[in-house]
Amino acid sequence: MSSISAGEVLPELTVTFRREDLVRYAGASGDFNPIHWNDRMAAALGLPGVIAHGMLTMATAVRVVTDWLDDPADLVEYGVRFTKPIVVPDDADGAEVTFSAKADKVADGLAEFDITAVFNGEKVLGRSRAVVRVS
Amino acid sequence: MTIDATMVGRSYAAAESYQVGREKIREFAAAIGDDNPAYTGDDAVAPPTFAFMLGSRALEQLLNDEELGLRLDRIVHGAQKFSYTRPIKAGDDIAATATITTVRKAGDVEVIMYETALTTVDGEPIATSTSTISHNRADS
Repeated sequence: MSSISAGEVLPELTVTFRREDLVRYAGASGDFNPIHWNDRMAAALGLPGVIAHGMLTMATAVRVVTDWLDDPADLVEYGVRFTKPIVVPDDADGAEVTFSAKADKVADGLAEFDITAVFNGEKVLGRSRAVVRVS
Repeated sequence: MTIDATMVGRSYAAAESYQVGREKIREFAAAIGDDNPAYTGDDAVAPPTFAFMLGSRALEQLLNDEELGLRLDRIVHGAQKFSYTRPIKAGDDIAATATITTVRKAGDVEVIMYETALTTVDGEPIATSTSTISHNRADS
């Protein structure tokens, strides 16, 4: 089992989401909401463009913690608030998002991480917390 | 018809269980760009947010309740939380039941919380998913 002290920071993860990633996630998850692949539909709903699935962002954010864990099965709780959309342009550059995590409480065999996701200089997740079993 | 606080406690069971397959786990892990070795092979477990997909058949039933009058294209996912008893693994046959836990109204917007219990078809608890969604009833 992994171990950590309060205040420690895990290695950052930077991921680029491109349109093809959204299409792949739509297919794998079954979430075919057109705001995640169709500019016309996204604009009709008043969005600034096609946006990444919140659940794709959530899935990627927790990798900062599960990449560090010896066994991802040690994750006991994970929650986020979706506070800002990640707009994914139809180009080769895509949208770059940087994820980080800090252990802010370690007690009774559990560590609580505060996870941060930054896109375009702004946090896109709020109250993003993961609780894991540690030794 | 419209949703209100008297509907808290209503429960919706998925019409069918979800049989978790090794290749579906692999496909999902690839789609989130996660090459963790725990997500491949005969003993594969599923990435944590795979649980959300297992709840979608229960959510479908909730959205089909005409008395609530909800439309998928008017829903924004505001928050999501999972509590895990054990990881989901290939071979699991999973039942999902969604229960409405909170309804708050602010003008045309309804903020709804629902909790989805994921168990094996034999009743072994696996995980609980708590979702907060906003539903906008305004004519755009």
